[in-house]
Amino acid sequence: MARKPSCLAAVAFAGLCAWLILTSGSIPSYADTAPVKPAPDLAAGKEAFAANCTRCHGETGTGNGPDAAQMDPKPRNIAEGVFKFRTTASGTVPTDQDLFNTITNGLPGSRMPEFQRLPEETRWQLVYFVKSLAPVFLEENSKPEVVNFGNDPGPEKAGIAKGKESYTQLGCASCHGNAGRGDGPSAATLVDNWGNSIRPANLTQGWNYRGGSSPKEIVTRIMTGIDGTPMPSYADAISSKEDAWALAYYVNSLQKAPLWNRTIEAKRSQRLPETAQDPVWSQVSRTDLQMSNQLYKEGQIEPVRVNAVSVQAMYNEEAVIFRLQWDDPDESRQTPPDALGIILMPNRAMKWTVGSLRSWPASQDAPSLDVSYWSAGKNGASEAVVQGTADLETGKTQGETLTAEASYADGQWTLLLKRPLQSSLKDRVALDSREATLIGLTVWDGGNQEQGRRRSNSNWVNFILK
Amino acid sequence: MGNLSKSGFSMFGFTVFALALAAGTALAAGSATEARAATGTSSLNGTVTFDGTAPAMQKIKMNADPACQQQHKDPVLEESMLANGGKLQNVVIYIKEGIAPGTYPAPKTPVVLNQTGCVYQPHVFAIQAGQPLEIVNNDPTLHNVNCQPKLNKKFNIAQPTKGMKISKSFDQPEGISFKCNVHPWMNAHAVVTTNPFFAVSDANGSFSLANLPAGTYTVSAWHEKLGAQTQSVTVADGETKQVSFAFKAAQ
Repeated sequence: MARKPSCLAAVAFAGLCAWLILTSGSIPSYADTAPVKPAPDLAAGKEAFAANCTRCHGETGTGNGPDAAQMDPKPRNIAEGVFKFRTTASGTVPTDQDLFNTITNGLPGSRMPEFQRLPEETRWQLVYFVKSLAPVFLEENSKPEVVNFGNDPGPEKAGIAKGKESYTQLGCASCHGNAGRGDGPSAATLVDNWGNSIRPANLTQGWNYRGGSSPKEIVTRIMTGIDGTPMPSYADAISSKEDAWALAYYVNSLQKAPLWNRTIEAKRSQRLPETAQDPVWSQVSRTDLQMSNQLYKEGQIEPVRVNAVSVQAMYNEEAVIFRLQWDDPDESRQTPPDALGIILMPNRAMKWTVGSLRSWPASQDAPSLDVSYWSAGKNGASEAVVQGTADLETGKTQGETLTAEASYADGQWTLLLKRPLQSSLKDRVALDSREATLIGLTVWDGGNQEQGRRRSNSNWVNFILK
Repeated sequence: MGNLSKSGFSMFGFTVFALALAAGTALAAGSATEARAATGTSSLNGTVTFDGTAPAMQKIKMNADPACQQQHKDPVLEESMLANGGKLQNVVIYIKEGIAPGTYPAPKTPVVLNQTGCVYQPHVFAIQAGQPLEIVNNDPTLHNVNCQPKLNKKFNIAQPTKGMKISKSFDQPEGISFKCNVHPWMNAHAVVTTNPFFAVSDANGSFSLANLPAGTYTVSAWHEKLGAQTQSVTVADGETKQVSFAFKAAQ
């Protein structure tokens, strides 16, 4: 008898969970539902703006809030009236719904968060207040011109093969590259309308599309362009709406679903593959690590370019071999070269003394780290033990030589790096299958002038010999 | 008070005169050519000079796009400052004031802006407000035409294939620029005017504004790097007046 209430409670709890998952996970299906827009209340909008927006966008929306300098991409100058994500023709103002969607969903890959936690009413008041900051909305001839996107044909009828042809014919590869990794011949020289350097989107990273990665959102970007950036509108260039959808579905198909994980598992095998193309790799689990940096110089962020690394690993009694892949829009073998470090922490207990990889080099008394360092400059790798105040790159000048093989194609590095389980070097980490070792990755993009502390870093994750 | 009403009257008188002439020309011409109004018999001829050493124009590196590179046997030079022997080319000379906007209907014949060999042709031009601008891609490669005026409608459009054309027009007089982000060396500049009396100085720095009605005008000379100069000029019927502009190297 006593179990009944708890059973009921469990059911109720499960129901609540399901409800939470359903509601929090669902993206508002805008444009399909007629939103109930409240009447403008600029005082309420101003208050909400002050509470949620000014740290980045500034009090008058000019994009110079106190946190703006430490951001890349920079917060938008709302007052200037140029809005990236619209359903309207190039150069025209967004609809209220467009602004509402940007506030609601945020801009993935930037510091603009989603504001679903705010009541809808508040988000609408923010829309009205944002519009009051940009004089362009008051101009007589600046009405939103909503583009007709036609109907979503769905994945079956979209014609992805046709979309692939369009990708070539329409010159998408000039900026986005043949494989969509943002490495086209014009990628490095692009500037936005204010003269700041800007990179084309890496279309294989759906999680990083600012305006959303669904075919519907992609077709919107294709037809309206992204105002303020080099991305033009293809509304007059594409022969039919069907072609636009085919292209959108093709672009959508380029996305590689990320496998974010806190653990890298090395698979045991007597034979270790000698090439990155060996089919055995398809049977080895993959972990994707997000890469970031926190390096500020004179109050400005120094942006890094590599934002994810895919890792696979295999081992036998003697050695472990890593297969690493990361997108980097330019191959740099000159100084500074593209480079990567695999960092092992000798002892888990050191975690609190070492801290984040981002803040390395640490203090005098910090424990040493075990570094396997590869550089495209010499296309070779070496192992080293790096002391507390020494830079991770010190690994390039000392230690024993490891086996490494790297290749670069279509905006992506693929690296095989093999190191012995037990090193002859003093203080190197001895890997064994009884305990998980903490591992971190660090990448230098030479094409982005990254060297020393300017690099992207992963979090510490578990490395397991399974 | 007296001055105000006087100028108001003369403006009115001028407009009436202009309209009468427009009707006259249209009848006399009797053809389907432009309804060009109120042309006169005065001319402004002149030269634009440059005092100083013009920077050497750099060779454009087109190697990022073979479709551009392959179209040129010889190196292509930038055009932002063409001053040969003290004569300044690519200066737009136009009547800025002295003709009421709307006096001359916009021509229907388009001004053509070509993208050829990954260079804008012409590099500098003028266009009357409301006149169509035909933008043509003559190259087998993607161009985007990014135009961000202050007063007119902004646009950034793709022209991915050879032979693609688009027609645009500008309502408000102002200086505007065209840029291709795919080929960052490509830029073109235009002045949107309120009347059809404009010219671009040639390699000798020469220009000519013909068929002007007699009157007093503010004539403006605009250069993409050196900015604008104006002067007031009065011409009588049948008169050809010499007008010169002198630019100096920007400090």
